[in-house]
Order: sequence, then C-alpha cells, then structure tokens
Amino acid sequence: MELNFAHLHLLLNHFPIIGSIIGIALFFASFFGKNEDLRRSSLIILAFVALLTIPTFLSGFGAQLSIQGKPGVSDTLMSRHEGSAMLSLWFMLATGVFSLVGLWQFRYRGRPAPWSIAVIFLLSLLTVAMMARTGNTGGDIRHPEISANANGTVNEGTAGSIFAHFEPVPDKFSQLMLANEWWWGFLMGLHFMGLALIVGTVGVLDLRVMGFLKQLPIAPLQRFIPWALVGLGVNILTGLLAFIGQPEMYIYSSVFWLKMFALVLLGINGAVFYLTGISEGLDSVGPGQDAPALAKLVASTALVLCFALIFFGRYIQPLGDTIKHASN
Amino acid sequence: MAVPEFFNTIEQTGLSKWIRFNTDSPFGFYFILLCHTIGLSLLVGSNAVVDMRILGVGSALPLKPMKQLFGFMFTGLGINIATGLLLLTAYPTKALTDWDFYIKMTFVTLGVITMLRIYMRVFQDPALSEGDMIARGKTMARFSLCFWILAIGAGRLLSETYSYITYGHPYPR
Repeated sequence: MELNFAHLHLLLNHFPIIGSIIGIALFFASFFGKNEDLRRSSLIILAFVALLTIPTFLSGFGAQLSIQGKPGVSDTLMSRHEGSAMLSLWFMLATGVFSLVGLWQFRYRGRPAPWSIAVIFLLSLLTVAMMARTGNTGGDIRHPEISANANGTVNEGTAGSIFAHFEPVPDKFSQLMLANEWWWGFLMGLHFMGLALIVGTVGVLDLRVMGFLKQLPIAPLQRFIPWALVGLGVNILTGLLAFIGQPEMYIYSSVFWLKMFALVLLGINGAVFYLTGISEGLDSVGPGQDAPALAKLVASTALVLCFALIFFGRYIQPLGDTIKHASN
Repeated sequence: MAVPEFFNTIEQTGLSKWIRFNTDSPFGFYFILLCHTIGLSLLVGSNAVVDMRILGVGSALPLKPMKQLFGFMFTGLGINIATGLLLLTAYPTKALTDWDFYIKMTFVTLGVITMLRIYMRVFQDPALSEGDMIARGKTMARFSLCFWILAIGAGRLLSETYSYITYGHPYPR
C-alpha cells in the first residue's frame, strides 16, 4: 500500500489537536504553585506544535485532492473543514510566536512578562477551541456515523455558527492571493527579505560558533536571533499565503516537501540549541575562544539547513509535478 | 519605442540559448538563479547585520571586528554580478525592456555605494572610537537597509512586470 497525502494528513492531524490540549493543560497547571519549569515546558510544546501544524495544514490539500469526487465525499463539508483549518492555523501560529517570545523572556529575563502570559493564555484557549472545531469538521467528511451533517448538508449548532462566521471561505481566499500580480510579487519580495534576514543573522552566529570571525564574542550575536525569527515568521506567513493561492503548484512538488522537512529539522535543531544548554554555555565564549564541539555541530547543521531551504525553494518551480498522483 | 535588434543578437548567441533551453542541465538557468539568490543572501544578509549593529542591535558586540563581514558582502556582490550578467545574457529583451529592471538596478547601485561608503568612512579609520564609528555610520546604515529592501522588492517584481519574453515575443498582460 502506497503512502499518500490522506495517510500523511491523518497521521499529522493528531499533533496540533492533541498537542495544543497538552500544551494548554500544562500551561494552566503551571499557575498552581507557580511552577516556572512547567510553564517553560508548556511553551516549548506550544511552539513545537505550531511548527507541526504547518505540514499538517499543507497535507490537508493533498488529502482533499486524493478524495475529491469520490462517492459519499461532500465538497461542502471539505470546504467547511478547510476554512476551519485555516483559522486554526493562524491562531496556532500566533500562539507559537508568543510562546517563543515567552521562551526568549525566560532565557534573558528569567521569566515571561505578565503581558505575554496573558496573550498566550488567551490565544491558546481560542486555539484549542478552534482545533476541536477543525477536528470535528474533518471527522464529518468521512464519518457519517458521528456526524450531524448527513448527505453533505451542513447543520451548524450554536457554537458552530459562531465559528463559521469567522472562518474564511477557502476558494475566495485562494482567489484573493492570485487576484493581483502585484500582490503576488509583494508576497515573494517579502519572502526574499525574510530569507536575507535569516541568512545574515543566523549565518553570522553560526559561523562564529563554528570558529570563524573569532574576534567577535558570541553572547551579543545571540541577540540577533529574534530578528532571525522575524525573518522566519515573515517567510512562514508569505509561504503559507503563496501555498493557499496555488496549492497544486506546490503539493505535487517533491522538492517542496523536502523544503518543509528541512524547515521542521531546522526547528528541531533550534530546540536542541536552546533546550540542551548549548546557548547558555556559549554566552561565556569570548573573543578568540573556541565553542564546544557539540555547539559547532548544531551551528553547522543550522547553516546547512538554511541553504537547503534556499536550494529546495529555488527548485520548486522547475521540479513541480514530480509526485505521482491521479492527473500525471 | 522599437525593441533594439541588438537584444536579438545577444539572444542568438550560443551562451544565451544554452542558458534558456538547457533546462535539464544541473548548471542551467535555475542553478544560475539559485546562485543569484545565495549571492543576495550573503550580500544583503551580512550588510543588514552590520547596519543593525550600527543602529544599536546587539550593542555589546564590538563594531570594529565586524569589518570581516565585508568579505562576505564582496563575495555575494561578485556572485550576483556574475550570475546577473548570465541571466541578462539569457533574457536581454525581457530585462532591458522592463522598467522595473532599471528601478532594481538603481537601488542595487545605491545599496552598493552606501555599503562602500560605510566600509571607507566607518571601518577604514583605525583611530575612530566605536562611538565615532556609530555616529558616522548611523544615517548611512538606515539608507542602506532601505535601499536593499527596495532592491529586493523591485527584483522580485520582475516576474510580474516584463512585457517581452524574448525578442519578437511579447508577453500578453
């Protein structure tokens, strides 16, 4: 049996739904006894779940294309699920962003600021509710035994109606991305600016850790990382909007999925850098001094993965239709 | 205004045709474009870090040793000049009849001039204190960031603004 996008989507979709619940549960639990370690762990989970939500969302398009038109599959219910998924995605990413802000504040101030705790609290609460809605609408597509929406017709309850009011209409959203070539060019321009920002900031830090530019102390270089994350955030946002505009151009490109895999690996590499004490250890590495071997390995991996992202990204267009599907 | 015949002359050369048609080669058009992107990352990325430092980000970082980053900037610039010329050789009509190409080149030129001025006026005088370096470089750093943002924006819009693909082949918009 071949692995297809439906398999991938069904495998991945558990992470944002269950992961966000675990994250928020730990976050709430941290308020009892003011457990800062638990709070930090919850933010790590929320940030990582946000990253995994990206391939989950992307694989949903592939799953849709693989079952579209099959008997018993309602386009209306799929569109409803897709709109819900879009809204959940944005809120999960926002939760992830503020979780990273909170983690940064843990690193440099010892604890998150009250405002960031409040924002994370609110966003995670909304995200869990939306994720539950997304899971529910996804189940309606192929599980009529548990669905109030038989025969492809939509019967929203009170809560569902409220959510539906805010959910984008997927086809209209896609058309919006392609409505104007200037808008597309603007998105791509921002994507390249984000790329330059990431390579510059992460590149200089990684090169120093690897043993180049030895006149520079490492601790102040780490202060550029928030700018790298701004660049990454811009690229994730513009990348997702580009994908929504032309999903079929990306979904069947093997190179696109390699790029997404490299992105997840970059996130894992970053987690290793910050969660294993490597980052704190590097604060004491002054001008002329060498970083530990493990730090050099993590830094060189980050640099390779950054260039992998550029390489794969550049080849999406020429290596477009390279994944086997019904139309090729 | 008629498209100059000279553009067609360039497009009929072996090099131009090889880049345009040799899509199966690992060193063809998309590889040149990849190198152009890498050059951009080196040039603008390093430049942005120096500009940001001058403007106060990571203020504990000593400024003088950051002179070494100009090596990456010059490398990126060299890669982009070489790959840019190859891309221009492949599609001279497409680029040189596109008003946005001239805007991009204007901002690239301004960005490079500013980069060189920062190098000469801020980093070449060893007698300057860090405070003096920052004072000299602040305005130039702000302009540098703006020029590169505009250069990247204009460069990315090239795929939306061209009106010819090759000589005698207008692109309908």
